[in-house]
Amino acid sequence: MIKVEHLSKTLGDQKILNDISFEVATGEILVFLGPSGVGKTVLLKHLIGLLKPDCGSVIINGKDITKLSRVEQLKMRKDFGYLFQEGALYDFMNVFDNVAFPLREHTNLNYQQIRGRVREVLDMVDLDDVEAKMPSELSGGMKKRVGLARAIVLGAKILLCDEPTSGLDPIRSFDISNLIRQVAKKIGVTMVMTSHDVDNSFRIADRLAILNEGHIEVIGSQQDLLSNQHPFVKEFLKPEAV
Amino acid sequence: MNMAIFKNIIGRISALGEAIFFLGDVFKVIFSGRVRFAQVLEQIYYQGVQSVVIIILSSLASGVVLGLQGSITLQRFGAREFIAPLVALSLVRELSPVFTAFIYSGKSGAGITAELGTMNTHEQIQATRALGVDPIEFLVVPRFLACVLVMPVLVIISELIGIFGGYVVGIFQAQLPSAIYIRQTIQSIHYVDFFSGLIKSFFFSIIVAWVCCYQGFFTSGGALGVGRFTTRAVAYSYIMVILSNALLTMFILTIWG
Repeated sequence: MIKVEHLSKTLGDQKILNDISFEVATGEILVFLGPSGVGKTVLLKHLIGLLKPDCGSVIINGKDITKLSRVEQLKMRKDFGYLFQEGALYDFMNVFDNVAFPLREHTNLNYQQIRGRVREVLDMVDLDDVEAKMPSELSGGMKKRVGLARAIVLGAKILLCDEPTSGLDPIRSFDISNLIRQVAKKIGVTMVMTSHDVDNSFRIADRLAILNEGHIEVIGSQQDLLSNQHPFVKEFLKPEAV
Repeated sequence: MNMAIFKNIIGRISALGEAIFFLGDVFKVIFSGRVRFAQVLEQIYYQGVQSVVIIILSSLASGVVLGLQGSITLQRFGAREFIAPLVALSLVRELSPVFTAFIYSGKSGAGITAELGTMNTHEQIQATRALGVDPIEFLVVPRFLACVLVMPVLVIISELIGIFGGYVVGIFQAQLPSAIYIRQTIQSIHYVDFFSGLIKSFFFSIIVAWVCCYQGFFTSGGALGVGRFTTRAVAYSYIMVILSNALLTMFILTIWG
């Protein structure tokens, strides 16, 4: 379970997050919606301790991760999977080595076991015959699939996805959205995702939240969002709602 | 105006503090034994291969030029036979450590900054943290250690090649007998000369590795930023090598004479 309390963050002179509080139940998928630049990625990075808040706490399974030391945070992250916007694959490793990397770092599995596990997760994200390819040889959608495979290969309990459909055409966006929900539900992971893609987010999420100027404008079910009368929420959801 | 200057000064002091903490983190990983030797060897190969040819060429040219200039000047005083000590001591005590540091920072150092900088702008450094791995241990320490290990070796290569360049001039241009040239070279280099050059090269290698890794690790601003930080890394390395060379020379001369 994830519990965020009164989280605030200022970068430079700009207040990015302003007193944010929310909870995500185990196994739930929560999607943060909002236009570019409202702090969705900043929020996500706080959940895994990549950024330190000015104030507030991020409690993961009863432990406030903002109070952990750097070494404790590194250990804690083994339970997380993080899908970066552009995949963030190591460009000096091929697909196999990228996906195998967390296994080599954190487990004592032998080569055959690692090979088996890598194939298993690549199958899960519908990728075939790409193990020897370098990231530069992959399309945007494939990079995100490999990124997703790497994020779940250790058996993550919490999956964080940063704009997984950005930069993809509508068909690929639809595919990757379905795939993420399917994988998340299959492995029973708790997931927080950010997006500005309303249509696909409605498809993936159990609950959704809309971020605006550093605070949560509304959080709830798809119906709660659609029935909200706040002008920003109505404006943001308008094209899809119609 | 005053406020802007004040902010600028504070910014520079905090950047210096950040750089010192960064170096502290690197040493902490090294001294706690968390060194990935396979990656260090890989980096030694890349960095060594990247720089060795250019260092051989420039050292040969330096030795030849020193020999030519030395022979012309020394001939005026009837001291042509002193070309050998002139070339050998100039190279071993000063020129080879400094030139090698310059060339290394411009070639391998710039490569380190560009690599780490590109990784940073593509979020690969953050991804490393997100995967529960310390990026200093995985990405920085192998490059840092390779630099510290390779540069002194390149300095010795540079000294040998430079001395060979001077020898060629001494034999063919100044018409000195080969045996005398070699004997004078050997006799002129004392262990103090050799080790002062080596000590300098060790410090320079730490400076270049530190500056280039730090600039790469904290690169921001996309492709443009990679270019800017890489240029900055080379410029800062040059300045710090020049300044530290002056300090080290004063220190070594005071201790050893």
